[in-house]
Amino acid sequence: MLRTWKRAALGGLAALGLAVTAQAQTQPRNQITIMREIDSDRYDPHRSTALAGGEVLTMLSDTLVSMDFDMRTIQPGLAARWDVSPDGLTYTFHLRTDVTFCDGKPFTAEDMAFSLNRWIGRTTPRVVSPVAWRAGNVKEIRATGPHTLVYELNEPFGELLSQLTLFFGSALDPAAVERLGDNFGVQGFNGTGPYCWGSWTPRNEMVLTRHPTYRWGPPSLENRGPAHVERIVWRVIPEAAARVAALQANQADVTNYIPEAFWDAIRRVPTVTISQQPNYFWDFFMGFKVDKPVVSDVAIRRAVHQAVNREGLVRAVWSGHAEVARNIVNPRAADYDAQSDAMVPAFDQAAARRTLDEAGWRMGTDGVRVKDGQRATFLLYGINTLANQRSGEIIQQALRQVGIEMRIQLFDATVAWGRLATQEFDAFFLSYPYVSATDALSLYWHSRNRPTPNRMNWANPQTDAWLEGARRAIDPAERATLAANIQRQLAQEAPWLTLARSQMLVFAGPRVTGARAHGLYGIGIYKGLDLRVR
Amino acid sequence: MLRHAMQRIGLAIPVLFGVLLIGFLLMQVVPTDPATVRAGPQATAEIVAAIRTELGLDQPIWVQFGIYLGRLAQGDLGVSIINNVPVTQELGATIGPTLELMFAALLWSIPAGIFLGTIAAYWRGSLLDKFIMAISVAGVSVPVFFLGLVLIWFVGFQWQLLPFTGRGGPLWSMDGIRALILPAVTLGGVLVGPVARMTRTAVVDTLSADHVRTARAKGLAEHLVVLRHALRNALIPVVTLIGLQIGFLLGGAVVTETIFSWPGVGRLAVGAILSADFPMAQGTIIVLSAGFILINLTVDLLYAVLDPRVRQS
Repeated sequence: MLRTWKRAALGGLAALGLAVTAQAQTQPRNQITIMREIDSDRYDPHRSTALAGGEVLTMLSDTLVSMDFDMRTIQPGLAARWDVSPDGLTYTFHLRTDVTFCDGKPFTAEDMAFSLNRWIGRTTPRVVSPVAWRAGNVKEIRATGPHTLVYELNEPFGELLSQLTLFFGSALDPAAVERLGDNFGVQGFNGTGPYCWGSWTPRNEMVLTRHPTYRWGPPSLENRGPAHVERIVWRVIPEAAARVAALQANQADVTNYIPEAFWDAIRRVPTVTISQQPNYFWDFFMGFKVDKPVVSDVAIRRAVHQAVNREGLVRAVWSGHAEVARNIVNPRAADYDAQSDAMVPAFDQAAARRTLDEAGWRMGTDGVRVKDGQRATFLLYGINTLANQRSGEIIQQALRQVGIEMRIQLFDATVAWGRLATQEFDAFFLSYPYVSATDALSLYWHSRNRPTPNRMNWANPQTDAWLEGARRAIDPAERATLAANIQRQLAQEAPWLTLARSQMLVFAGPRVTGARAHGLYGIGIYKGLDLRVR
Repeated sequence: MLRHAMQRIGLAIPVLFGVLLIGFLLMQVVPTDPATVRAGPQATAEIVAAIRTELGLDQPIWVQFGIYLGRLAQGDLGVSIINNVPVTQELGATIGPTLELMFAALLWSIPAGIFLGTIAAYWRGSLLDKFIMAISVAGVSVPVFFLGLVLIWFVGFQWQLLPFTGRGGPLWSMDGIRALILPAVTLGGVLVGPVARMTRTAVVDTLSADHVRTARAKGLAEHLVVLRHALRNALIPVVTLIGLQIGFLLGGAVVTETIFSWPGVGRLAVGAILSADFPMAQGTIIVLSAGFILINLTVDLLYAVLDPRVRQS
């Protein structure tokens, strides 16, 4: 009797085991799971600049205009067409008439005017967007008809259309903004995007559902709408190895958060498809505070450029999966200047020693150069990431060989931004996305942007004048000339060392097609309209 | 018994107060300003000052602590700086998955540890004993994150037997059970070794006791002697150890939840600390610490129930 009972128990356990382990990787049909490393603080385009926020917001809402995959061509979005006045001060957008919000309410020019005015802090209650400057020097944004929007500027802004492709210019439903108050983008959202707000569990997952009547997707995508899949789940998986394994085990479908060290191994997996965006602009750099001792000397800064082997750095830090950089601007970005690329000091340690010798920096007894009683030593701050740790060690070693001492202090991300806003350090590591040369240069090099984001304390009236001219320029050739002037000036003065240009790869598992890397502001999957379950 | 219970509870109160004080002070010494975090990277000084006043950060520290205690007494742990959600609401949503994970880890690891320890004691000195003890030492030595990654790689990815990317659903669903297995095995894995070692030592000690000799003299079979007379008496120190280890499981849960994307308090704590969400971080510290204290208190009381000498002393 006892033996029979034991057999039955063992049999039951075995059956349970089989049931439990069967089909471990099943995912609901017509749902796609996208993995990422961190979550956004909120999903309000005017209260967050987080990339994680932008990834979801481009699915939840639309912008007046959209960016093609070439990162140069502006395509229609919510605006079917637009006119620009000859003086470049007035943009008239003619909006599509068939657009609705997720709740079914028709979208009008009043809604778009509200959204853009909220971005620049002209609604009540006032919202202060950290990136309101991207909207230009606005005189007035108003609806002149149900589907006509007039965007008036105080001064021309040649970058306006590029800036309006970013998620900060998303269309919002004023009623939802008012109803949800501070919890807009936290507990709900009502947008015009291809997907609608489902549920959000902070730091865990965001669930989006298909917007069934959506038919106004950007022309650059194959599918204009509605989306092929019913649900998109953005799942946060903090552990990199778990993301790699999940992709291969079909427990998730898409991600662009795979560390470079895994790329070669994943390329060999036949079931994983990879999409690369060649026009991706996210650079890593080391900036110098040009008004601090030692690094204020252009000879030191040029010698740093000559001492660091950037090819070796890319191999060691990014496993060879980044582009070796010279100029501040990516060669594929609009208004890049090729001549300035050649002006950036190239790797040549002998030349670095000569540069320092000629500038009067003599080798000291401890292997660190000295000039006028001052040692060639400087302090670098950065966020404590693996890339910064490795880059720091390699650069420190390279500089030591030419007689420059670099001290490194890396901080946890929670405190790093506060420390990087101070004047305690001489140099720093950061990385950033940009849309074009003028966009990148405006962010960092205008004197009014000191102390952040212009942490270099770069204050040059000529640079300011060129930047303002480039921003105002309506003629693309004029803007390119002014942007080139700045790139050449910075190449000569060497106030920052571009370390590498990261690459955008989107990895997709065997269930999914249509996962094409976009890369606007670092966003891998743009809109998600082409995503489809096989 | 009641006096003993009151004494233990009385001792737990100052410990809890100490935890609250240290948790509060830790957040004060972190070199990040909560008002700046809430205001955003390009907010003006006026906005930051207004938020500082709103949060009470312009008050002296002891006043802030007093206000904090007052709010705590009313069950108010504050509101997340990041997403405006009450801390209690987020904790309420995450405590369930953490308890679920801990319960599942205990459910398999304690019987497994006691079983292995008893087997090792029964055949003490044999190859099997040495093998079990070697496994136990390995279990104690292997870090939780390593065990988790090994299980993900082989069971989840290579053999594709079980999911490993978060909670699959409620515990009563098959998806929920499947998703729970790997995290529970990982978390419980650290408990098996200590329990097995302690069980073996205690059983071996008890086997030389007078009452066991008497049982043998009565002619009882050896396995019955071990199970009925030795193991039962050997369980007292094992229970104490289990109690202490359950407290440490809370720490293991933080790592396990992060690796397996498990939406529990541990992962919430890591996320809150990384995003400088001070009220949320304080809330999670309180919950985890209070859990630790509560577990120790329960073990103290249970120990008194099991062993009359404790309550008589």
